[in-house]
Amino acid sequence: MRAGLVRDLAAALAGLGLLIALPMLFPQPALRDFLIYFFAYGLMAMSLNLLVGLTGLVSFGHAAYFATGAYAFGLLMQSGLVPIPVAALAAVGGTALIALVVGAICVRLKEIYFSFITLAFQMFIHSIIVTWVGLTGGDQGLRGGIPRPPFLGLDLNDARVLYATCAVVFVLCILAMRQVSQSPFGYTLRMIRDNPARANFLGVDVTAMKLGIFVFAASMASVGGLILALFVSGAYPEFAFWTTSGEAIFMIMLGGMKLFLGPLVGTLLLQTLNHFVTIYTEHHGLVLGTVILVIVLGLRRGLADFLFDAIQARRARRAAALAAAAPAAFAPAPLDGRTV
Amino acid sequence: MGTKTLSRAPSRRQVVGGLAAGAAITGFPHIAGAQAKAIRIGMPTILSGRVAILGTSSRAAAQLAFRQINEAGGIGGRTLELIDRDSKGRPDEAAKVTRDLINNDGCEIIIDGEASSGAFAVHEVIRDLPVLCVHTCSETSSLSADPKLHVRTAFRCARQGIHDAVAGGTYAARIAKQKGLKRWMTCSPDYAYGRDNTAEFLEFAKMFEPSIETVDQVWPKLFAPDYTESITKILQTKPQAVYSALWGGDLVAFIEQSNLYRLFSNVAMFSGGLGDPPVLTAIKQLPPGLNTAYRYNRNYPAKPANVAFADAFAKVAGHEPTNWAWQTYLGCLFVAEALRRTGGRTEGSALAAELKGMAVAAPFAVGDAITMRDTDHTIIGYPVAWGRTVPKAPFVEDFSDVDWGRIVELETQWKKGKGYA
Repeated sequence: MRAGLVRDLAAALAGLGLLIALPMLFPQPALRDFLIYFFAYGLMAMSLNLLVGLTGLVSFGHAAYFATGAYAFGLLMQSGLVPIPVAALAAVGGTALIALVVGAICVRLKEIYFSFITLAFQMFIHSIIVTWVGLTGGDQGLRGGIPRPPFLGLDLNDARVLYATCAVVFVLCILAMRQVSQSPFGYTLRMIRDNPARANFLGVDVTAMKLGIFVFAASMASVGGLILALFVSGAYPEFAFWTTSGEAIFMIMLGGMKLFLGPLVGTLLLQTLNHFVTIYTEHHGLVLGTVILVIVLGLRRGLADFLFDAIQARRARRAAALAAAAPAAFAPAPLDGRTV
Repeated sequence: MGTKTLSRAPSRRQVVGGLAAGAAITGFPHIAGAQAKAIRIGMPTILSGRVAILGTSSRAAAQLAFRQINEAGGIGGRTLELIDRDSKGRPDEAAKVTRDLINNDGCEIIIDGEASSGAFAVHEVIRDLPVLCVHTCSETSSLSADPKLHVRTAFRCARQGIHDAVAGGTYAARIAKQKGLKRWMTCSPDYAYGRDNTAEFLEFAKMFEPSIETVDQVWPKLFAPDYTESITKILQTKPQAVYSALWGGDLVAFIEQSNLYRLFSNVAMFSGGLGDPPVLTAIKQLPPGLNTAYRYNRNYPAKPANVAFADAFAKVAGHEPTNWAWQTYLGCLFVAEALRRTGGRTEGSALAAELKGMAVAAPFAVGDAITMRDTDHTIIGYPVAWGRTVPKAPFVEDFSDVDWGRIVELETQWKKGKGYA
């Protein structure tokens, strides 16, 4: 077992422990609700960053897979034919299949053309959701609630069990994304991002690699969608609208792309701002816009990236100061007896 | 130098402490400000974006109702306190803020000012957290008609599509018979509500007047800025009457643009959404004689209490009441009466038991009272009249009502057809 994996597993366990402990320390249900919301949108932002930050593919249509996961899961649960784990796996699998078909077309295009075709497919999926009223409920969304029959001794109708289950799924997905990002496949994607021509020259099948990460990112986004569907007990066309994809991009911009967990910082920041600003004013767009402007123009990078860079710079200064101090200790004392 | 810089930087402990203090400052006053005696009533609604008037007018109506109730002594000495929250028109946000209002802000009752899918999202929250919920803006019939969606503590205090369809069809058939209007066209927004509403209107119009023939239908996109293509098509087809399910700003744009083509000088217009005072006042040149469903009017029903409501609302909101305003005001009256009957107890089941079948002598009642039907938790006896536009305020007159007995009879048939009854 490689050292990185052990460290990641330890971090995941610690993170999960913290997430499970938080509602015990602060038992208000509102915190649990907030964190479930954070898990759902956090997975969407993190998975989008596998495309944007890791591979250099700026997708404008990632929410399509978030919504596909939510609808597929909701419809399967409403059918009453399958238990929750089977519905969840089928929803993720179904989303992966759709992403495979869509991705096979999209990843052949580059830069802005890639962005626009992903947006086009998202709006296509949104249109299907809105117009196929008999299946999806159209613009009213999936009505009648999503049943949560107990499975493996877990009753998701209990809010605490629902929260703990969502936390476990969230941490597992983050861990999976981390492993992909740190694998040779992940480093190949970085090479494709930095120099696709060189990667191709070295024998990398660039299209296949891009398609692989496209499908994986979509699958992870679908898990976010099904967490939200479970939480709100429904699925709505707004999940697939372009503004939802835009929010995920905002989260990445706010958090940063350099650090693996940067998008989660952005998600937390955006959701926290959204939560508190909405309490006090309906002009939340103005406040959020101002914050985003300050971060984008002031920091010129995401908050996590800014903090990371600041820590790195501080470490570098410390190292330089130590390096400068070390030779001085061995240097002969000046003739006038003063020390530096 | 380097040491000096390091000593100025905040320590990790300071940063964590600062964040905790920040959270306390931003989060706690909201809780600390609660009045122990007040009954907190939460309102998730749309306060921003294109349909913000839905939320702002609903909020103003609730504020007015609660102020009047509190000034009259409250509920056994306890005041009613409104806590509103913007869902931005997003169903998942509506679900989240509703949970937040109940779990975090201590709201014991929900007045749901959400439209469309947002109301269904709130409905599911109420299934999980069974406080009393009164939907005051959703017009989708299935919310209360479909028994599969039934939630014990959820009620609807709003008009609904099937009632409007029966009333509209009855009125349209009568006018069609009087004026010999046989060739009809429709121009409605291309989404589920637009298509369903139009289909139901035509179904009942044709049921009452079989000579009505649909010669063409145009479906402009929702929120389309330009209706020239649809208007040109209507002019080419030359129908005798047009029905439209357009609403809000879309309807204003359609009427304004149709005026340029003098469309209404040759075609009878029937609209389900024109009767809302903000829509009527937004149209610069309102053509006379357009047929519209009642949304709100200070002169109908002709009761002093209705005029008093309109005046009081205008003082709070700065404009005439909307359809959502009277519905929300009425919802608040139902809630207050239920609280009086339970002696201030706020358990969802106790309030729901009182609300079932409750009749309230509201300013908007066509007869003596508006009733919350016990079988499907929805109101009946509210105004479903149709009238004709005039260029001066209050812009619609000559209202003609439809018998509620007939509406209920046809609604029952419709429910059977849909498998709801």
